[in-house]
Amino acid sequence: MTMPIVINEDACTQGCTICDYFCPGDIIYRITPDQLPVVKYPDECWYCGICADKCPTNAITVIFPPQMLNCTTDVRTLLGIPVPDDGSMPDDTPEL
Amino acid sequence: MSKFTDPLQPSDSPVHMIEADVLVIGGGVAGCLAVVGAAKSGARVVVCDKGGRIERSGSVGGGVDHFFAILHNGQEWDTPDFLLNYIPSLTEGVTDLDVAEKLVRGLPEMVHMLEKMGVDFHDPEAPDAPYYRHRVFGLPGEYTINFDGSNFKHIIGRAARQAGARILERTMVKDVLMEEGRPRGAVAFNIRTGEVYLILARAVILATGDVNRLSRNASGIPFDSWHLPYNTGDGQAMALRAGARLANMEFTESTLSPKGYSSQGMNAFVGGGAYVINSLGERFMFRYHPNGERARRTDLTHGVATEILEGRGPIYFDCRHLPPGDIDRLVNTLGVDRPAMPTFFKQKHIDLTREPFEISFTELSVRRGGVYFRGSGIHIDPEGTSSIPGIFAAGDCSSMSAGIAGASVMGYLAGQSAGRYAVAQPPPTHLDKEQTAHIVKDVIRPLAMKGGLSFHAFEDEVRSIVTDYIGYRREERRMKEAIQRLKALHNRESDLEAGDHHGLMRVYEARNIRMMAETLATTALERRESRGGAAHVRVDFPQTDDQTGLRMFMVEMVEDELQVTSRPTGLSSSPPEPISRPSTLTES
Repeated sequence: MTMPIVINEDACTQGCTICDYFCPGDIIYRITPDQLPVVKYPDECWYCGICADKCPTNAITVIFPPQMLNCTTDVRTLLGIPVPDDGSMPDDTPEL
Repeated sequence: MSKFTDPLQPSDSPVHMIEADVLVIGGGVAGCLAVVGAAKSGARVVVCDKGGRIERSGSVGGGVDHFFAILHNGQEWDTPDFLLNYIPSLTEGVTDLDVAEKLVRGLPEMVHMLEKMGVDFHDPEAPDAPYYRHRVFGLPGEYTINFDGSNFKHIIGRAARQAGARILERTMVKDVLMEEGRPRGAVAFNIRTGEVYLILARAVILATGDVNRLSRNASGIPFDSWHLPYNTGDGQAMALRAGARLANMEFTESTLSPKGYSSQGMNAFVGGGAYVINSLGERFMFRYHPNGERARRTDLTHGVATEILEGRGPIYFDCRHLPPGDIDRLVNTLGVDRPAMPTFFKQKHIDLTREPFEISFTELSVRRGGVYFRGSGIHIDPEGTSSIPGIFAAGDCSSMSAGIAGASVMGYLAGQSAGRYAVAQPPPTHLDKEQTAHIVKDVIRPLAMKGGLSFHAFEDEVRSIVTDYIGYRREERRMKEAIQRLKALHNRESDLEAGDHHGLMRVYEARNIRMMAETLATTALERRESRGGAAHVRVDFPQTDDQTGLRMFMVEMVEDELQVTSRPTGLSSSPPEPISRPSTLTES
């Protein structure tokens, strides 16, 4: 998967643990300031951008993956009505 | 990442015993104000939160840009009585008016209390001007204050800390412990270290937020959700297992968001005057609601879903007509609710001032069914008490929700009620060695499971079932199939493998999400009508039927089975007679 949070290790010099504490999930681990932060559970990123926003040295960039930036999903498939393989809607689609 | 593989074995999980009067589960807006309320009554308070520092944890830890308020500013709509008159029609006759009244009447005082704590509701651009307020989501006035709430959670989190509460960070509560039908406390664990906490408390406040990660969305990324994906219905599931009743669980909620990115921030667009247009360039929302883009959130979602189904998608947000000042405000405040939103538009190469951008509806979540002054969750009375004395609830996990304003008022109220209750009760009996060993062994069991079921696969299966068999367009046959499949998944829960302590959290979250899905399907099956915009659309009962539908559906566990009951709400769903016709009620 695309890494959602990219940390520029050269810029990450503050020696803080702000990214770890500000992340609303349990994604970024920086237990002590002498470690570099590690994006431990990238698949659980909310794409909120709080880590990037709060980083005092602007060392963090949020990278959106292709399925978010150029999403091609036929959202009719998310509505709970089966969509035929050819993408057309069934004739008996109820009038709503 | 293998270097993080935790070498701890179950026998290494240290156990801590803590005694308190009130245990608050969840340290978001409702939880923090519950702490403040409970501490005022002299109770010893412990608060557990899955997130990190309480000053930043929860749905609005990064910031928030709006607060629903009543301020008595001299306009007729700006009073509790005026607003209360609209609540039955706003909720289509399904809410508890006595609980809503507590919320609404508590709003003016809550604004003062938060200001005393240090929240500044003024526009930072014009600090001496009156609050900048706007109208959203079908409400009969400009109630919502737009403000820079970047530090909102920091301020109330600090207030909770200063109230003297013991704060357990990165701590997930697995279950409330019961004793003769009353709460005795709870069992919890640290999601990084695996330390187990047995917390004895006479009163428990559930403030765990809404239910997310429940259905598939456009990006297919489960944690790409409109609301906080780490809110997984933990409190609602705990309440059910403890024997409490949930209400309104058939109503689901989603919102409009840039296609591929489920995000907050859309109130700013619709409140700021953006148009919603279809592929023909039509502002179609007036077909669905006389208020157009300013209809309730659930009506907006319903309109967009229907346009797409009828072949007039894709759907766009269009800001091009807005005056430059309004666009500037929109662009400047876009990142307050969701800091990465400007980055998203930048990486997508969209300039929203010059071109419309495609939107869609987000995944389903269980919160309040798209309207304020009703909640989908633990049923509470006007004091915040659940159907079990000693168990209280507030915020989005309860049956009375209205954003962070609602969470603030009802959280504080539940805290006061729980504090009063707790100090009047005898302390819970201590756990003996055997009970302790049994509880701890049960909590850490998924850590010992090797080669078991992955929580990823389990959760994905729940989302598939909810998306394909419940969804936005519901019918009896498919929902029965959903229930059957969800029950089959339930039978496999004991095979779930945690891997590490973080994974232990994921196992319990997955179980809670499944339970919420079954609760949703079971309740939605019983409401044989359509009601609430997109919140509950039955293709087999497409009409709103006030004969059968002006009822509140409740669900509880009876001998391991979900049992649904209902009672009439006694409310009407028709709009109130206008008290007068103030100019502010005219749509611009």
